[in-house]
Amino acid sequence: MSFLAAVNPGFILIFAGLVGLFIPSRQIRHALMIVAPVVGIFGLALADMNLDLATARALGLDLVLYRVDSLNYLFGLAFLIAALLQAIYALHTDDRFHDGMAMTFAGTAISAVFAGDLMTLFIFWELTAISSVFLILKAQTKAAYNAAMRFLGLQILSGVMLLDGMVYVQKKTGTLDFTAFESVADPGANFILIAIAIKAAFPLLHNWMQASYPKATVVGTVALSAFTSTLGVLVAARLFPGVDMLIWIGALMAVFPIIFAVLVNNLRKVLAYGVNSQVGLMICAVGLADLALPSGQLALNGAVGLAFVHVIFTVLLFMATGAVLHRAGTIRASELGGLYKSMPFTAVFCLIGAASMAAVPFFSGYVAQTLILDSALQAGGMTVWLMLLFASAGVILHAGLKVPYRTFFGRDKGLRVAEAPFNMLFAMGLAALVTLAVGLPSFAGIGHGWLYDLLPYPSVARNQQLFNMAHILSQLQLLTLGVLAFLLLRRIGLYPAEKPGTVLDFDWTYRWAGYGLATWAGTVWTKAGPAVTRFFGSIGQAGFKRLENAFSPQGQLSRGGLNGDIAIWAAALLGAALLLSFVSVN
Amino acid sequence: MSDVTPTERDASGRFVKTEADVTPITDDDTVHPMSILLFGWVEAKRTPAILLGGVLILSMVLIAADLSLAREATVPAAGLTGFYGLVGFVSVAAAILIAWLLSGLLRRREDFYGEGDTTPVRVEDEESGT
Repeated sequence: MSFLAAVNPGFILIFAGLVGLFIPSRQIRHALMIVAPVVGIFGLALADMNLDLATARALGLDLVLYRVDSLNYLFGLAFLIAALLQAIYALHTDDRFHDGMAMTFAGTAISAVFAGDLMTLFIFWELTAISSVFLILKAQTKAAYNAAMRFLGLQILSGVMLLDGMVYVQKKTGTLDFTAFESVADPGANFILIAIAIKAAFPLLHNWMQASYPKATVVGTVALSAFTSTLGVLVAARLFPGVDMLIWIGALMAVFPIIFAVLVNNLRKVLAYGVNSQVGLMICAVGLADLALPSGQLALNGAVGLAFVHVIFTVLLFMATGAVLHRAGTIRASELGGLYKSMPFTAVFCLIGAASMAAVPFFSGYVAQTLILDSALQAGGMTVWLMLLFASAGVILHAGLKVPYRTFFGRDKGLRVAEAPFNMLFAMGLAALVTLAVGLPSFAGIGHGWLYDLLPYPSVARNQQLFNMAHILSQLQLLTLGVLAFLLLRRIGLYPAEKPGTVLDFDWTYRWAGYGLATWAGTVWTKAGPAVTRFFGSIGQAGFKRLENAFSPQGQLSRGGLNGDIAIWAAALLGAALLLSFVSVN
Repeated sequence: MSDVTPTERDASGRFVKTEADVTPITDDDTVHPMSILLFGWVEAKRTPAILLGGVLILSMVLIAADLSLAREATVPAAGLTGFYGLVGFVSVAAAILIAWLLSGLLRRREDFYGEGDTTPVRVEDEESGT
């Protein structure tokens, strides 16, 4: 018992994942993949809060390998639940490399969550990048390979930025403890913020998410959506609470993906934009989290609460779309429709996930998102609050309407497939159960009160009357009239048609223009290369001939013993040596 | 519940239901029995009209309910009757209209980046051990 309480649950998952790579028996391997997160959850329940539970010393640094506090507890718990769901969801497969890497990735992310210092965080931050890339590569398409390479490059760059920032922090403070920065101008803060910006997919650095999630394997996308960007939110909450810049970055990040989600055809990409928007809400809340103010404490509660429920409902939605991809062989909106006839249970679970993400009252998204909206309102920033309301209403468009409607209820395309395998349905059912249980008013030990008690400021959270008439009515108005706008615009033909195609995003600049520049440079070099080579070659040859004429056995200096030439050369060299000596001495 | 259409892979590795694509299946035996129970109402011809009417009526009821509510709002606008409904309507309408305007500008052919199909090859990998 005491051993379990002192071991970072992430280590248990990493161990299980690495061992799983070598277990050929499918049953034994899958049993291990399920037992590991269950043991991890049990261990986390036993862990003492606010203590350094496991430490180590390496390279002259004190590493805190396991520390649980009110900020990282819910992140870790959500990750462990997601790891369990992912393991159950993958039971129909038989690929020990994929199973092992998926569990190792979950383990590294959980280890990073419970890291107690910057160096430990950095180690697992990098390991998440390395272990997760295989989940994209395993899809075995050219697009997946290209996306995986871009993903790996950016994630490694994120780690390098983190390391760079740590050097400054160490130099200034002499320690790598987690201490929140007072401003972005602090030494090292800007580098660490860039690292977080990449991990959490800030605007203009977000494209790795929309490129990699839809191209990864069915199970891989579930894992990627759960662990990657949410880890960035935790580190932002730890190091940059109340930094004003994050309010605007987060608000922008919550708004712009809504537009792109309407346009894209691949429904896993639609969800990736949805994840981007939800992470934007959390980042905005982190920016609002001036912890000296009640509104700031409420905002931090909102960020942590939304992170927890976000992991569960995002996993649920990606599991549902993954099940469709698994059965129908496509996840393009233009090719789907009427699948409720074949996959009614998957449709129900997808609707529950969609309602949660859209923050429909009595679903989990509502109990967390409302905290953020209330904190923005209390902070008094009208523009930010309106931007967050826009994002909140806009979610109904992609998660609430587009994904379930296009997949299950749109025009029947004649696809008749089997319902998802039982293990997939079971995993989706568990996720739906959690998301429903958290969204309810508190009674008999379940409901949102359980979540609120685990937030960083439980009393502040409990003071919010979420289930009063004003809150419920406001949210229902926001969503219902949003649906009305969708129905009316669709009826008059102003809703963009679902068509196959690629929608350009910011990655166009470096993919098309960058590749174009590289191609142009290559062409120029190929054509100009011989001429340039000839030019430099002729200069080199001329110089060599002059030296040869002077110093070779047949050269001026050796020809016929001492003569007038050699005297001149000797005098010139001596003069040069004297000049060099004079210059260097002075 | 079972899939009666043979599943085949095309050249890019995607699963294709060729038969189903060509001939819409009308045989109700291929429909999951629970789907009728849970979502049978979706098939009714009047469902779209009823849905639109229902949402319209619900919207009016929600705004009317706002009249009986005394809100304590930090921002004055938040206390106005139907404010959240208006924001919801305008937000979604704006998002759709902006997307509609941008669709012509930003949409390119599927293979714009020359990467081909983006569907994972191994979507059905029960038998693929390593």
